[in-house]
Amino acid sequence: MTLTEPPDTIALSQKPERKSVVSIDHISKTYPVSFLRLKKLFRKRFKPPVEALRDVSFDIREGEIFGLIGPNGAGKTTLTKIIATLVQPTLGSVTVKGYDSVRNDEEVRRQVGLATAEERSFYWRLSAEENLVFFARLYGLSEIAASKRIRELMERFELQDLARRRFGELSTGNKQRLAVARAMLANPPVLLLDEPTRSLDPLAAARMRSLIKSLTTEGSRVTVLLTSHNLLEVEELCERVAIIGGGSILALDSPKKLRQFHNESEHIKITFVSADGNAVGSGLHNEELQFELSNTDRDDEWVVSLTRKAGDETLDQVLRFLHDHNALIRSIDTERATLFDVLESYEKEKDATNSQDS
Amino acid sequence: MIGPDSFILLLRRVRAFLVRDIRLTLSYRMQFFLRILSILIIVTTFFFISKIFVGFADPRFSQWRDPLAAWLTGLAVLNYFMTGFSSLANAIRQEQMQGTLESVLLTPISLPTVIVASSAWDFVQATFFSFLYLFFGWLFFDVHYQGSFVLALLFLLLTTMVLACLGILSASFAMVFKRGDPFGVFLGTGSALFSGVFFPTQLLTQYAGTTVSGISRVLPSTYGLDGIRRVLLEGQGLSEVWNPLMMLLIFLGVLLPFSLWVFGRAVRRAKREGSLIQY
Repeated sequence: MTLTEPPDTIALSQKPERKSVVSIDHISKTYPVSFLRLKKLFRKRFKPPVEALRDVSFDIREGEIFGLIGPNGAGKTTLTKIIATLVQPTLGSVTVKGYDSVRNDEEVRRQVGLATAEERSFYWRLSAEENLVFFARLYGLSEIAASKRIRELMERFELQDLARRRFGELSTGNKQRLAVARAMLANPPVLLLDEPTRSLDPLAAARMRSLIKSLTTEGSRVTVLLTSHNLLEVEELCERVAIIGGGSILALDSPKKLRQFHNESEHIKITFVSADGNAVGSGLHNEELQFELSNTDRDDEWVVSLTRKAGDETLDQVLRFLHDHNALIRSIDTERATLFDVLESYEKEKDATNSQDS
Repeated sequence: MIGPDSFILLLRRVRAFLVRDIRLTLSYRMQFFLRILSILIIVTTFFFISKIFVGFADPRFSQWRDPLAAWLTGLAVLNYFMTGFSSLANAIRQEQMQGTLESVLLTPISLPTVIVASSAWDFVQATFFSFLYLFFGWLFFDVHYQGSFVLALLFLLLTTMVLACLGILSASFAMVFKRGDPFGVFLGTGSALFSGVFFPTQLLTQYAGTTVSGISRVLPSTYGLDGIRRVLLEGQGLSEVWNPLMMLLIFLGVLLPFSLWVFGRAVRRAKREGSLIQY
């Protein structure tokens, strides 16, 4: 796979082992939607249309955590809202568990829970519990089922002590946890999580990540679409990641493969102790290796830095050499390309294309 | 056809909206009590105005022999009518402004349920406040009502349903254009002027001509108010109020399917535009 490979080819290269739960088929979305007749009359006055999504296609498999990353305005939220039936696509279709998001929107909403970082989606003068009770009723839960489920979720999200506090009085992090709890009220098989850890402290964020992970491994396996700007989180949680930019899917694969395809080299730093580091350096030069040698604060401690193609024999060669010269290896640090690097390179590619076009 | 399970689900959802709105109202207690006080002040004011007309009763206007009773029924019913016009548009708009409309529409709830449920509390409140107009008149100012309250209630219910259809059209405007709803402006203020809330509609013909008075004949609120006054103030029975009743049924038969269709289109359009939470 190369960076310029079309998304369809990428998607097809995956052989789905599990059945598809969410299927996105050639979705395009253009804003604004104009009144056709008025448009003809006042053609010049209308704003030019903006393509929020362009021919987007991919599947999300059962029990998978699927990541969607991209810069602001890339189309992540629009795509999430289309799956949640809040926005209708201009072209193409979305099916969730076989239900079409336009024709069977009510049934799709039964299958999907959406948690956004939007604080305004709750009633600020109602308590956390009252908010959940209201939404549980809209999901059709009976009084007993609703109160049982709310108790479970409050416990799971550590919100029990805040149940009677007004939503407006909760901290941003707690509001966010409540949003995820609400999305899970009706036990939907598909969860759409829009930046679920954005406002959480590091510990709470870690707990949230472990909770998201557990959702896909528990009895009723939940399928998760996760959009996030926290790329480490996406790497940690997601089986597959789609990079979206300018409304199109630029790449889709596992985080590992995306990193590999983006940049096959890795930086390695080996810290070692040797009475004569310079002699070791000369020896390494004779081995025809490209490296840098530097001395640390300690006189006998040295660092050799090198770049290698992932998986080649350079590291083994250096380690054998150091071992043969009685060097004591203290640590080995490896720096691989991250999803951030991948995303950044796509941004640079896009900027370069734009400047060429202009 | 709605099955028993669906009906229970509908009731459950309507109850959820009612409980939510009661809780929200109770979180603004002061506003609620000030509204009650303002109704008492209005009733008192109209009592004193009515004293100007003592001994001036015109035999042509049978419903206006006791002007205070006519005004109080007019005000009570107008309050109800205004709720019919505006409650749904206000509910939608308020949810849009709060940002909660998306989260409501994210649940598997049908459009007619949203329509019924989100304005249910407004109608409960309107019933209470309308009752207060009549109650304060009876309690403090010796206003007497006669005839069948059940029949009057039937008129009120029918008229409100017809006006709620116009309210649905109004909500459709709020959904697509966000502001500038013509139904609220023309029908809200128009009803007060042309439906006989404050004066007999016959005066329109006498002073403004038949064209202007014709407007009152195309407003459903005119028939509703006329029917309620005939029942409560003149003591007429079902056979005597058959004509306004039929007119209301015709209005309902035409407006109900039309308004639901328009509202469905408006929601679909807002979804295509992605503007559900914009206001």
